Amino acid sequence: MGMVDAEKRKDILERLKNGVVEFDEDMVREAAQEALDIGMDALDAIMNGLVEGMEEVGELFDKGEYFVPEVLMCADALYAGLDILKPRVKKEDIKISGQVVIGVVEGDVHDIGKNLVKMMFEVAGFEVIDLGKDVPLEKFVEESLNAKADIVALSAMMTTTMLGMPKVIEMIREKNPDAKILIGGAPVSKESAEKWGADGWAPDATNAVKEAIEMVKGLKKEVMGN
Amino acid sequence: MNSKERVKKIFSNEKVDIIACFSGMGNVTVEGLKKYDYAFYEIHLDAEKMANAACTSYEFYGFECAVAPFDLGIEAEVLGAEMNFYTHKGKEDIVYPTVKKKAIENPDNISIPEGVAEKGRVPTVLKALEMMQSKVGDEVPVATYILGPYTLAGQIMDLEKLLKMSFKKPDEINTLLSTLADFLVELGNIYFDAGIDYLTVREMGAPTDVLSPRMFKNLILPHLKEVFSGIKKPNVLHICGDTNIIIELMWESGATAISVEQKNDVAKTREKLGEEAIIFGNIDPFGTIVQGSADDIRNAVKKAIEGGVDSVWPGCDIWPAVSKENMIALVKAVEEFGKRG
Repeated sequence: MGMVDAEKRKDILERLKNGVVEFDEDMVREAAQEALDIGMDALDAIMNGLVEGMEEVGELFDKGEYFVPEVLMCADALYAGLDILKPRVKKEDIKISGQVVIGVVEGDVHDIGKNLVKMMFEVAGFEVIDLGKDVPLEKFVEESLNAKADIVALSAMMTTTMLGMPKVIEMIREKNPDAKILIGGAPVSKESAEKWGADGWAPDATNAVKEAIEMVKGLKKEVMGN
Repeated sequence: MNSKERVKKIFSNEKVDIIACFSGMGNVTVEGLKKYDYAFYEIHLDAEKMANAACTSYEFYGFECAVAPFDLGIEAEVLGAEMNFYTHKGKEDIVYPTVKKKAIENPDNISIPEGVAEKGRVPTVLKALEMMQSKVGDEVPVATYILGPYTLAGQIMDLEKLLKMSFKKPDEINTLLSTLADFLVELGNIYFDAGIDYLTVREMGAPTDVLSPRMFKNLILPHLKEVFSGIKKPNVLHICGDTNIIIELMWESGATAISVEQKNDVAKTREKLGEEAIIFGNIDPFGTIVQGSADDIRNAVKKAIEGGVDSVWPGCDIWPAVSKENMIALVKAVEEFGKRG
């Protein structure tokens, strides 16, 4: 990174971040392209530009300034940058090797939260197997075993479908005890998550993103070596 | 005064002996299914089973209404969506039907079929309502529900696309919602012509944690007004989530009554809307009615009544796995705290 002018780097990171926050896909694309053109590290641009932007989006959501449509457009802007930057991330820079299995439990077809969380896992360099929505409970267990998943993430947006979660957790614990299990969705409470023995919990889409970002930040130190 | 008379008076703001304990949404219980040995999926697909199941919460617990159907797919099916009814599930599994295949790709693909009363499961619902009327219709009100335009839009097209277009292309979404409002007025009045006692409009796809109050006012409310100016009365507007910030807009919609869930602070709602507003709510249908103790239910009912509800009703469909004891505790608590004599 020594070749890249510090001011220039700062400017590009700022534009990546603002482009995500202001859901300006063009701004993000241009900044991402410029980052590559001047020889900036792609992972640096992703983590300190795009991800920082998404972090601010989460804060705006919590403050009630942004709502779900805005968050979805911000996610599109992030993907616009990711499409350009990700192919240029050096393999040796990705120190995370983790397999994530993610899906929405049976009876539930609300997948917006799941898609946002999936995006953050991808950003962090995880390999994600997306089972989609309305996933039969047994399938989570099967797929997590097949993939030797490190993380299984379950989402439910309805009280009625959330009740499938403890069953999945129990089945996975029995067969794949090392997997970390994250659960999320509007009706899921911290108390339920603890009671059912989940390793992580998030009440809604952006909090799930925040939760994922926290994980990414923890890993970022390792990835960025600083 | 029986339940039917009581609910009728409540809708016209007349004095009653005790406020009602009823709902405009699903309230079938597993106990009810057991009586007839029905699997959950069966009661969505057969008029007689639907009617029998819909009457059981009145018959078993004295819950003061009979409401059918139990799922949220009737309108979407009429418009061409395909449902999954989970017919492979056993008797002990409760999985609500979901939309398997959306009806339209883009807002301008929408077309409303001729002869709505003959389409999809509308004939099943109409037949069930008729059977419910002859079964219990002299004693309790018989009711059904329709979705709000925005919630229906989310059932028939990709939800993520709908949410983004609501922001980027509001004109296209407005046109879609107007078309859906016309369709919902037609369907709602078909139900009224079949003799229902009230109709609930469930605009649950537009809660304030998803859409901004500004968007609710500009994009959702105008079409709710179209619905409420077109359908017969009495009717109810139900919206989930924390509705305190949009409560005046909800009342402005023109509905006879408004229904709120447990996240709504009913005392504040009453203070804002004044005495003439008819407010139903706001017992947590899972956290309290299913998971709570009899005391929790009693306290929640007391709080709702002190807050100023005109009738006690659950904040959403009651989760069917509720115990007999809790349903009885709910009805008894309203008798205890709801006297208006």
